[in-house]
Amino acid sequence: MEISTNDYRVWTEASTIHYEGTMRLSGTDAYAPILEIMNSVLSSKPEVITLDLTGLEFLNSSGINLLAKFTIEIRKQPDVGVRVLGSKAIPWQSKSLRNLQRLHPSLELTIS
Amino acid sequence: MVQDFGNTVASNGSDATSFALKLRAEPLELSWHHCGVTSDFIGEYFSRSCGSGIDPVDARHSISYMINEILENAIKFRHGGDVELVSTLDEDMFEIKIVNLIDAQTAEKFQGHLTLLLEREPGELLLERIEENALNPDSSGSGLGLLTLMSDYGAKLGWSFTSEHVSEGVELTTFASLRLS
Repeated sequence: MEISTNDYRVWTEASTIHYEGTMRLSGTDAYAPILEIMNSVLSSKPEVITLDLTGLEFLNSSGINLLAKFTIEIRKQPDVGVRVLGSKAIPWQSKSLRNLQRLHPSLELTIS
Repeated sequence: MVQDFGNTVASNGSDATSFALKLRAEPLELSWHHCGVTSDFIGEYFSRSCGSGIDPVDARHSISYMINEILENAIKFRHGGDVELVSTLDEDMFEIKIVNLIDAQTAEKFQGHLTLLLEREPGELLLERIEENALNPDSSGSGLGLLTLMSDYGAKLGWSFTSEHVSEGVELTTFASLRLS
């Protein structure tokens, strides 16, 4: 599954969801197709879902809401683990991703 | 009539590096796309003029994120008219003022929202808001822009509402400052 535009690309490989580029969509409705891809991975109930954000240079607050909302969905399913991969070279990730861990303490966050 | 909320006092003086931009409502037809382009441009501009001891990558990103969030609100809620931006940098202190027009009803609603926002610790309120959003799939806005700025970026924010005649709308000036590191 893949969504690709001039600004960003989101695609899945087994239970890993990759994000790349700059995502500044206008709100919940605009992010809905991306949430749909994410939910389809969750509905297959994998042992661990990996969100690979190491190529996501910019995300606006509506996009942060999308990641937070998905984290809460995963939290409701104790059998599904979640791992979030970030990059130290991308400033928003060190600033905002820790909020996901505050929402779901067993989320494994690696910013390298 | 003027009503102020939060921190509306600028600390940068006339010696600061300053840059002003006006996004004209006509004939460009201001749209969502202008938020990202404008905020990236100003972030890039100031990241090249910040002094030693400041990480230009972090400066460019933080300035761009801050302006983008405030501009997205300005574009989403504006009641016609131009959008003006004045930004200044004095050593590690970046400040921006964004002016746009909103209608009286939007102003009243936003003021109620700000009163709640300023009473609480932003980090706590951010998590609460996220949990609320998850319970309301129909809500179109996340309301996280200002909260992430305050909680994750340590930004100081203020708002000034000026109106003479209600029928002409309310001029909203958003003040934001950030200590770059």
